[in-house]
Amino acid sequence: MYKLHYAPDNASLIIRFVLDGAGIPYRTVLVDRTCRQQDSPSYRALNPTGLIPTLETSHGPISETGAILLWLADTHGLGPAPASPERPGFLKWLFFLSNSAHADLRQIFYPRQYCPAEALVAHQEIMSARMLQHFALLEVAAETLPVLFAPARPLGVYAVVLTRWAALYPVEAPRWFNLADFPALAALAGAQEARVETPVIARTEGLGPHPFTAPEHPNPPEGSVL
Amino acid sequence: MTLTLYHIPDWASSIIRLALEELGQPYQIKPMDWDAGDFDAPAFRLVNPLGLIPALGTPDGPIFETAAIILWLNARYEGLAPGLQEPERAAFLSWLMFVSNTVHPTVMAMIHPDRPAGPAAADQMARMALDSLNEQAAHLETLITTRAPRWLTTAQPALGHYLGILLRWAACLPQDPALRFSLAPFPALHAVLAAQEQSPAACRVAQTDDLGPTPFTSPGISE
Repeated sequence: MYKLHYAPDNASLIIRFVLDGAGIPYRTVLVDRTCRQQDSPSYRALNPTGLIPTLETSHGPISETGAILLWLADTHGLGPAPASPERPGFLKWLFFLSNSAHADLRQIFYPRQYCPAEALVAHQEIMSARMLQHFALLEVAAETLPVLFAPARPLGVYAVVLTRWAALYPVEAPRWFNLADFPALAALAGAQEARVETPVIARTEGLGPHPFTAPEHPNPPEGSVL
Repeated sequence: MTLTLYHIPDWASSIIRLALEELGQPYQIKPMDWDAGDFDAPAFRLVNPLGLIPALGTPDGPIFETAAIILWLNARYEGLAPGLQEPERAAFLSWLMFVSNTVHPTVMAMIHPDRPAGPAAADQMARMALDSLNEQAAHLETLITTRAPRWLTTAQPALGHYLGILLRWAACLPQDPALRFSLAPFPALHAVLAAQEQSPAACRVAQTDDLGPTPFTSPGISE
C-alpha cells in the first residue's frame, strides 16, 4: 500500500485529494515540522531535498508533487494515456503548474530563501504580479480544457490548491489574490469543495469548512504547517 | 510524422534538439527571432500561450515545457529515459521534476538576477542563486555516487542533456566570474556530463547550435 509522507496544508494535500478522489488506498505518515522531521536522516533517505510530500510505492519513493501526480496518473489512469492526443496538453500544463506556478508561489511564501531582506518588498510586488499572470494562463486552460482540469483529477486539484494558498499567504504581506477574478478557477474551487472527500480531508488537516471558496488559516489536529 | 521545433540555438530548445538527434527522428526547425517580436506574435501564442521556447509542433498539437516534451518524445519513440513500465521511472520522474522546477529556475535567477526583485538587489540575488545551485548540484553528486542511475548515462540521455545545458549557462553566462558555477567540486556529475557531451548526437548539436567542443563541461561561449 502507498505511504504518503505529509504535513498539514503542505503540498502533500494535493496528493491526498487525488488519492481520495480516485478511491486509491494509502496510509499517511506525519512529517512533524515542529521538530524539523523533514531534515531527519530517515526522511532525507527517502527524499534528499527534504521537501514534502514523498510517496512510497512498490517502485520506491517518489518525491516532487508533479512527479507523484504523473506517476499516479499513469498507474491508475487518472490522465490521458501516453499515446492519447490529449497527452501533450496534460504534460505541458502539469509542468507549468510545477515549475512556474508552484515554484513562483513558493518564492512568494518563503521570500527569505531567495531574496535579501532589503529587497523583500520589491520581490513581493514583482513575484505576485508574475503569479497573477500564471493564474490568468491557468484560467484560460481550465476554461478550455475542462476534462483535464476536472475536480479530483491531477491538474484540477493542483490548480485549485494553489488558489487556496495564494489567498492565504504570505501572512505578513497585503492580500494580492482574489479568486473571483478567475471565474473558471472559482467554479473549479466550488466543484472540488462539493466533493464528498473534501470535508473529510479538511477535518483531517484542519482546513476549515470552505477550504477553497473561503479559505482560512489551517488549525490542524496533528502536525504543523511550518 | 512531422515535428517542428521552435528554436534559437543555445536556448532551452537546444535540449529538445539534443533529444531529437538522439532519437534520430526527422524534424523541422522553425527559427525564432526575439528582436523581431516572434515570441509575441499571435500565431506563436497559439502554439505556446506562455510565449516561451521550446515548443514542439506535433500531429497531436503543440506541446511546450522542456520536460513535458522530453516525456512525450520518450513515450513515442523510447530510449531517452525510463519507459512507463520500468521501476526506475519513479526515481527518474522525481529528479526530472526537481531539475525542471528547482535547478532550471535557479539557473535563470543566476542569468537574470534583476528579474525577481529589481536591479538594486541583483548582485545579492545572483549570489543566493549560486549558493542554491551548489546545494542542488551536491544532491545530484550524491545521487550519482550512491545510485549511478542509468537515466544519467548515454543509454538514457535526456536528463543529462537537460542538466548539461543548464549548467553550461550557469558556468558562463553570469557577467561576474565570481558568480559563475563550477563543476570542479562535483567530479561524478562532471564525469556524467563529459560522457554525454561526446555522444554522436551531442556532437551534431554542438556543431549546428555552435556550442563548442565541450559544451557541458567547459562551455566555450564567446564573451
